[in-house]
Amino acid sequence: MALFSQTSLHGFQALLWKCRMLSPISGCPQLFAVSFSIPSREKFNCFSFMTSSSAALPVGPKGAGVVPSKKRSEIDYEEKAWDKKAKEVSEGKPHSSSSVTAPKKELLTHALLKHQFTSVQPPEKPLQAEEWNRLREGFQSPEVFEEVMLNSMVKHNSPIDVAKSLLTYVAKSYGDIEYKLLVKYLVLCVQQRQASEILDVHDIMKGRFKILESGAYSLIIRGLSNSDQWRMALTILEEVKKITIPSRTHYESCIKAASRHQEMNLAFELYHEMLANNLVPTLDVLQAFFDFSRGMKGAELQKELFGVLLYLRDNQLYPHKTFMQSIKLWFESIPEGNWRGHLTNIKESGQCPVCNHQLEDSSLTEEEYNNLREKIIRDVIHGTDTFRKTSPQEFEAFQKFVENRLPFDIVIDGLNVSHINAKKMQCENLFNAVNYLAKKNTRLLVLGRKHMLINSSNWKRKIMEEMQTKAHFFFAENISEDDAFLLYATLRSGKHCKFVTRDFLRDHKACLSDSPTRHLFRKWQRGCQIAFSPSAEGKHIHFLPALRYDCVVQTTGDTWHIPYKDFFEEKYSYQVPRKWLCIQQK
Amino acid sequence: MQSANMLLKKIVRSSVLPFAAQHGVKKDLFPLSRTLNLSLCMKQDNSCSPSEKLDLDAWKKVMKSGLQEVNETVSECKEPATLAAARETLEMWRLAGKSVPENITEEQLKTFIECTSKSAQKKYLRYLHLKELHKKNDKRKMEEKRERRLEAQEQASETGVTKKNSFICLWANSMDKVCNWRAAQSMVFGQPLVFDMSFEKDMSLREVTNTVRQIVLSESTNRRSTDPFHIHFCNFKDNSLYHKEFIKHYRGAWDKLLITVTDQCYTEVFPKEKLIYLTADSPKVMKTFDHNKIYIVGSMVDRNIKTGVSLARAKRLGLETAALPLEKYLLWNTGAKNLTLDQMMHILLTLKDTGDWKKALEFVPKRKYCGFVNKPVHELKKTLSLINTLKLGKRQEEVREQFAKNYSKKQT
Repeated sequence: MALFSQTSLHGFQALLWKCRMLSPISGCPQLFAVSFSIPSREKFNCFSFMTSSSAALPVGPKGAGVVPSKKRSEIDYEEKAWDKKAKEVSEGKPHSSSSVTAPKKELLTHALLKHQFTSVQPPEKPLQAEEWNRLREGFQSPEVFEEVMLNSMVKHNSPIDVAKSLLTYVAKSYGDIEYKLLVKYLVLCVQQRQASEILDVHDIMKGRFKILESGAYSLIIRGLSNSDQWRMALTILEEVKKITIPSRTHYESCIKAASRHQEMNLAFELYHEMLANNLVPTLDVLQAFFDFSRGMKGAELQKELFGVLLYLRDNQLYPHKTFMQSIKLWFESIPEGNWRGHLTNIKESGQCPVCNHQLEDSSLTEEEYNNLREKIIRDVIHGTDTFRKTSPQEFEAFQKFVENRLPFDIVIDGLNVSHINAKKMQCENLFNAVNYLAKKNTRLLVLGRKHMLINSSNWKRKIMEEMQTKAHFFFAENISEDDAFLLYATLRSGKHCKFVTRDFLRDHKACLSDSPTRHLFRKWQRGCQIAFSPSAEGKHIHFLPALRYDCVVQTTGDTWHIPYKDFFEEKYSYQVPRKWLCIQQK
Repeated sequence: MQSANMLLKKIVRSSVLPFAAQHGVKKDLFPLSRTLNLSLCMKQDNSCSPSEKLDLDAWKKVMKSGLQEVNETVSECKEPATLAAARETLEMWRLAGKSVPENITEEQLKTFIECTSKSAQKKYLRYLHLKELHKKNDKRKMEEKRERRLEAQEQASETGVTKKNSFICLWANSMDKVCNWRAAQSMVFGQPLVFDMSFEKDMSLREVTNTVRQIVLSESTNRRSTDPFHIHFCNFKDNSLYHKEFIKHYRGAWDKLLITVTDQCYTEVFPKEKLIYLTADSPKVMKTFDHNKIYIVGSMVDRNIKTGVSLARAKRLGLETAALPLEKYLLWNTGAKNLTLDQMMHILLTLKDTGDWKKALEFVPKRKYCGFVNKPVHELKKTLSLINTLKLGKRQEEVREQFAKNYSKKQT
């Protein structure tokens, strides 16, 4: 199979164009079925295969690309949407999709329901049975007519009576209504907050089926909790409990409903039940607590809400901006509380500029330290097989090496640092970094691999030798992981020791078995990692000092400091927010 | 509870009227439409009369009247409560249109209950569902085939032509014999190929079944080749999962297979210096196929790629390792560089017979590469970037970076 290459994009497109026009081209062994858009015909993008599997489709003698049938049928639908101009082109295209296997068909029907029939317009008024029948007859695939119709009703938010008339038609003609349709009808009712209808459908379902599945339950609960009948949602939650553990969305709706009606005790009861079931509450739920208990009195309630804040602390969660605002407003609304909140940035030293309070230190306790070291040796270095990252002999040699030269102040990931400036030799980069860090009379350890010792264009022996007078070096095998050694050496040296690497150490964090240890690891990493970046002109390296203070929700009793994110979206686990909410009691 | 429901219903019923009234008011907000299609509106007004209103809730009556009939179909309660409950849940999911198999055995139900998370349950059910669909299709196709064959036979009997042939039709049988002779020969003189069966604890049950299926495929490929390997299964424990799966596949033929199965390690069977462990993580790249060496293939499927597991085995035993020169010969596009065991088998057999890398690497899945490297790298770069600019959803930089990584000057 030869690679077909065409120097200019234009020629390539022209060729594709020809192939599409089904003129057989000899000497064209390959056709890349890749999507493209031809400027003159913007509509023409039928080749939009998203998969790479069709990167090269052989062109048969007939000249038609052998398109996977599933895709072809998708194209067929698109074709219907084309305008007439493009239609001329597709004339010669085979329209058979008979070779589609059933699983694909199955998947296809879903796809159909999703995007092909979205253009179906639901009627605006309730129809009589014969009118529905006529519509159904005129529909492309009558067997999914009702489903499609209800789907589009949900989409267009049709009046509920229209859906009722459809259900009546179905019930009259078949004597029964499928569960699927009832659920879709429920969606419509929830959308329009028809509490009474929801209850009716629930009764019917209960009578008709022994149990319901979680999808229907969550719809019913959500629908009811948004209405005046929210207490019914609680009874239904009890029903769910008989069958399975309710999901967090079930709890969420109920908790929100209870908070909305100022039943804080009930809401917190549900919240604790949820935590006991190992469900993770969404930030929405937590925010609801603060929103709805604004201005309410009660020591018990305060304790609970402080508990929520401590939950954020324990799980290293950061509220987003609106949530932070809710917290601030709640604090300020406590009667006779005299709390004041300010938004601020914390100084490098870890001091809050508003209340001059020194934030918690980022260093770990002795116990945590030892615990983390044990876990790292067990999970990260050894893991399932010591040979995966190193070998027992090598690790032992390294341990001996470290014990004999303790303590280090800074441990450097040599290879990582050496790549900082691509224009320079790798050993030069490393040399600059070592020089810069060694100025301050610190004990350095540089970790590398054995290939650094071989004289090559990137690793000049002379420079390497000069470096070795300024720092201790340890060279691991070329197929060993040097990061694991970096962690070990740093942890072994004690609290003051920092390490230098641009790596986020995500893969090592993932090796750790349980989430408390992971949180510990991140905390330690924040406090010990010196990141660096090349300066603008690339002459030297900027080192960013490690964080001195710990970035979690924290309190001293009369002050609270809460870090928050600007947006709701998930940030990376190694990044910490820079903005803080400082709350103090006058 | 019941009485409360009744009360609620009454309230609901009474709230229908104001709702209808509102509806009427809304209609009056659009006098334009009324004038436009007056005749329709007249009908519409009729349909909004209270008698029609009741008609809208007719489906509820139908559903409630159908209750008695439905409740008669009570499932047989032979199973313990948990299983029955699970069965019911599945039935409801199926009705809700999720991917759930229609029929499920007790064993599968137990597996389903033992799933640790909801997503695991979903995946397992989807897998069963697809399996069921495939089975149905196969059945359907078989029946169609049979009908076609019968028709053809009828037509043939009508024409009444019988061909004369000097061979009796025993093809499959005689082919088997030939293959077995060759395999027997390889047992004595053939080059050994080792499958390392020590990865069981690194795999889930599903991965083990996949592994065994791949090995069965490779074994049959090997048997049909002109010059088969002498296959060894080393570190093979009796009554292990592997063993059970093999029995499932081969049934009675397991004991008649012309391969060597041993619980010994390959280092005990062969001299160490002759062994080469094939693994994608190896830093060394295979240049030529050596007929005097013994290659080891780790029989492992890692759906979530476990880097360095087989390399660790080789390191532990101090064996030489090698990786296929995929980067050297193929313009790699996407996907992991670990290949399935049957692909490995095809490649090794082709290398053994011809020594032609290009021919051998035809067996690498086409989706994973864009073509063979037969030009200077910079030209390939152009083509690749062209392909990727044309392709949607591929970010330029990403591709370039990958290319740079693959084809940078190899550092010694």
